[in-house]
Amino acid sequence: MTSALSIQDYTLDYVTSAGPVRVLHDISLQIGPGEVLGLVGESGSGKSSLAWALMRHLPGNAREVAGSLRLGDIDLQRLSPRELTRIRGRRLGMVFQDPSTSLNPTLTIGRQITEALIQHRGLKQRDADALAIDLLGHVDLNNPAAIMRRYPHEISGGEKQRVVIATAFGCQPDVILFDEPTTALDVITGARILELFARLRRETGVAALYISHDLALVTRVADRVAVLERGRLVEQAPAADIFRAPRHANTRALVDAVPRPERRLVHDKPRDQVLLAASEIEVQYGSGGLFRDAPPPATKKIGLEIRGGEILGLVGESGSGKSSMARALTGLARFSGKISFDEHEIRGMRDMNAAYRRDVQIIFQHPDSSLNPRHRIDEILSRPLKLYGGQLGDIPSLLDQVRLPASYANRWPHQLSGGEKQRIAIARAFAARPKLVICDEITAPLDVSVQAQIVELLLALREETGTAFLFITHDLNLIRQIAHRIAVMRRGEMVDLLPAEDFDADHVHPYTRELMAASPVPVG
Amino acid sequence: MSLAWFVRRLMLMVYTVIVVSILVFAITQILPADAAQSLLGENATPEALSALRSKLGLGDPTWLQYARWAGHVFTGDFGISMRTSLPVGPEMLMALSRSLLLAVSAILVTLAVAVPLGVVAALRQGRLTDTGVSLIAYLGVSLPEFVTATLFALLLADTLHWLPATGYVSPLENFGDGIRHLVLPVLTVSVILVAHVMRMMRSETLDVLKSDYIRAARLKGLPERTVLFRHALRNALLPVVTIIALDVGYLLGGIIVIEEIFAIPGIGRALMVAITTRDLPSIQAGALIMAATYAVTNTFADMAYAFLDRRIRYD
Amino acid sequence: MTELLIRLLRRPQGFVGVVLLALIVAACLFGPALAPYAPEKIDFLGRFRAPGWQNWLGADQFGRDVLSRLMVGARSTVPLAVIATFAGSAAGAIIGVGSAYLGGRTDEAIMRTNDAVMAIPGLLMALLLVSTLGNGSGNAVIAIAVAFAPGMARVTRSAALNVRNQDYVKAAIARGEGAPWIIFREMLPNVMAPIVIESTIRVSFAVMLFATLSFLGVGAQPPASEWGLMVADARQYMHQAPWGLIAPSAAIALTAIAFNLVGDGLRDALNPKDER
Repeated sequence: MTSALSIQDYTLDYVTSAGPVRVLHDISLQIGPGEVLGLVGESGSGKSSLAWALMRHLPGNAREVAGSLRLGDIDLQRLSPRELTRIRGRRLGMVFQDPSTSLNPTLTIGRQITEALIQHRGLKQRDADALAIDLLGHVDLNNPAAIMRRYPHEISGGEKQRVVIATAFGCQPDVILFDEPTTALDVITGARILELFARLRRETGVAALYISHDLALVTRVADRVAVLERGRLVEQAPAADIFRAPRHANTRALVDAVPRPERRLVHDKPRDQVLLAASEIEVQYGSGGLFRDAPPPATKKIGLEIRGGEILGLVGESGSGKSSMARALTGLARFSGKISFDEHEIRGMRDMNAAYRRDVQIIFQHPDSSLNPRHRIDEILSRPLKLYGGQLGDIPSLLDQVRLPASYANRWPHQLSGGEKQRIAIARAFAARPKLVICDEITAPLDVSVQAQIVELLLALREETGTAFLFITHDLNLIRQIAHRIAVMRRGEMVDLLPAEDFDADHVHPYTRELMAASPVPVG
Repeated sequence: MSLAWFVRRLMLMVYTVIVVSILVFAITQILPADAAQSLLGENATPEALSALRSKLGLGDPTWLQYARWAGHVFTGDFGISMRTSLPVGPEMLMALSRSLLLAVSAILVTLAVAVPLGVVAALRQGRLTDTGVSLIAYLGVSLPEFVTATLFALLLADTLHWLPATGYVSPLENFGDGIRHLVLPVLTVSVILVAHVMRMMRSETLDVLKSDYIRAARLKGLPERTVLFRHALRNALLPVVTIIALDVGYLLGGIIVIEEIFAIPGIGRALMVAITTRDLPSIQAGALIMAATYAVTNTFADMAYAFLDRRIRYD
Repeated sequence: MTELLIRLLRRPQGFVGVVLLALIVAACLFGPALAPYAPEKIDFLGRFRAPGWQNWLGADQFGRDVLSRLMVGARSTVPLAVIATFAGSAAGAIIGVGSAYLGGRTDEAIMRTNDAVMAIPGLLMALLLVSTLGNGSGNAVIAIAVAFAPGMARVTRSAALNVRNQDYVKAAIARGEGAPWIIFREMLPNVMAPIVIESTIRVSFAVMLFATLSFLGVGAQPPASEWGLMVADARQYMHQAPWGLIAPSAAIALTAIAFNLVGDGLRDALNPKDER
């Protein structure tokens, strides 16, 4: 039985000004008909390059050094451009990561589906339209006929991804490549897409290569999983086994890094005294103009309390208002309501004095933009020292605290990796010796293994300094590992505020339950 | 795109014209310490000076002078030319029509030449065609109009004798001759316009070709021709409207020089004559009309663009 | 600084641009000293002499050496254009950054008015101002600076807004840094780059605008050997001595190209992430 997709000893280089860089070494993979193979790797592992290689869409400086790529009987590397056009979509489909950018903003949804159907299934426009409506209904979109006439910006991210999936499946290919299709979506939307994928796969028996950085997610959708580490295939195993019994050291490290709620990382209790109490906080962006209404408030009069040394988790999807809360607490957004901190009452940005600003620090999500690209690291770290009393000579120990070498003081931000930049941001925050550190989704853009290191670092710092944390994230499993209490937010409201151990109980809010169902714990 | 947006955009246009009128008036009538003196020159007699001062109402408070002038303009009365003693309005508008003929021709030429060239350069990025096109564009943007005009006149009129060096004949009276007289001016103006638009089109098209949705269209298995025409060009051509509208401003400025050199009796020439003869009402009228033309053109371009690009949500 | 120069020279555009610019600066500084003849030296015997060993670029209608006039004329053309651009950029920057910092409705009002001022084409604005202030190089410089200010205000404002929205500025606000620190140490270094690039490219427009004003008779006045003036003079004698026309035209073009190239080169060189 011929495999649907067969990759043998494939080796790929990119030619750069520093010479050829090998991105894939001797990769051998097989996908049987109807089988789903998950391909997992962190950034720089080469997983996307493999997808582009299969679709024959490699950049100009790519050199295929060795190996073969076969789709069934077809040798993909020997195809002429015209033959390639006939294969793409028709025999080998692809679903991309970001549906907002992979749909043409100036063409209707209907047009973008039917053109593929007409091209690959030889239909006339009218039949293609009918089939398209059918397909859209089949992927659980409401009112498919109306959606056909809409433009991409008029429908949501989840709906767009369903359209893309419908198009891919509609051409009835042998194999579909999925390049991180849920990464750009919210947790719950993403979970629905995965359910959709599972159903369609059962119905059509299509084979798939599912690429992702998320090992836990992949084990839910794939039959077998292959792990890629810096261009090398380190392990291949059935999905059920890979979590339970990883064999290779790298895989084991990857498995260990995946957050699991039952693996509690924080064992102490917070102090009794309340550090910060916020009440009736309402954040409003933008006011109404002459012709338009004001937008709805980002947070609707919510409140929370943080005790000394406590880790309070704040969970929600995008648009839930969690970041707005962080901005209000640090004086970055206008708010109404009351904050009391250390017996000091604060009703607005003006009330935040130097002591408050020293005691409450914030770390942002994107390491690229939270460090001034035109400042060297030592200058960046010197600011809190200058503002809050400290010596410049403390800089090496600050770097040491976040496990970076003292020589980094002379570097520029662009010379550091994402994880390293985030450590600098952490060092900057801790230089003030704060009582509360607000972490606004600081691990979201990072690889899972880097995320685990950062979390470990934060907990170690907490041990040393007794700082409290307001940890904002969308990763429920992660926060259940470290938080004492967790608040769940949805569209500006707080729907739940529970101790971490109570999350399995019956009395949680339905939304919280939905969130938990969308990020199940991997078996292992 | 709602009615409210339309109304706001029109109000903005009105605001622009008002600001321009204030600025023009301020520079020409308020700024000079003694407008009468600067108009009549050094040899003016005290009687002539005071007569002019009272005629222009220079003794009145600033805002009153402006209000008087603006009020007249609003009703279409641009005053009497100090040079010809004829009403300024009709003369200027006639001149404007000739300039518009020139401008529109230049824009058409630019669209026909620059847009395809820019797109082709992007499609053949890095290759000889692209380098050639980019070099020409660079050169075009680095030559002032008077240089290009003079060089073209030197080549095509004086040396090769293909075209008349200067002058204007209305195409309504004699079409062939009229066109012959327009070729050099239109060619000259088009050089910089083409260079600029070509560069923008190239960069726009490159951006579109690198986008994710073009990649997705290709990987969907659509033939290259479909990807180019149905997906890429459609998006790359969208900003043409905006680019041309921005260049109308340059066009209007350049027209002053072109009409001077080629002796075309358009609004640019009228302005130059007014400036050198210190004909205040004509200067004010000419400047205001020019700027108003730009404001109106921009407004229409914005509306056209909003109509074409559905992504922009106007509420 | 030297690091910047090296990165600039690494690209072909930057290299050519810097070389041309160096030639122009040399002409400005040493032109009069190095010129073979005095620019005003009239030689009726040598009228309309074609380019040759006596006059490398030929002679004009008064027998004046074109090359010498060109070299001396650099001083009348280029530095003034640079000053005008600098003044216009400074004025525009203040307006732009101020508007961005104030934000909200004030920002919108300022920018709408700014855009309205831009409805008057640059050349027209310059002409109006010169006609009021009087002819001459000095007034031409003022006129060009005023004509450029609104455009620079737009560029500066968008750069400033972009920077204001970055997390490092927010981090500084959250830390409680004072406004002067935030504006001058956090924002300005990141805003400078687009401003410098835009200004450099604008110098080429300033050179052309200045030459155009002189050509029209309202900028530099004779007997200055400003390049635009030279073209105006040479027009009448196009048939007899085309070199009198071509030489200053080429000089203007090359200067504009030089600044354009350096501006483009700076765009690549000033990007801190570009480590190739």
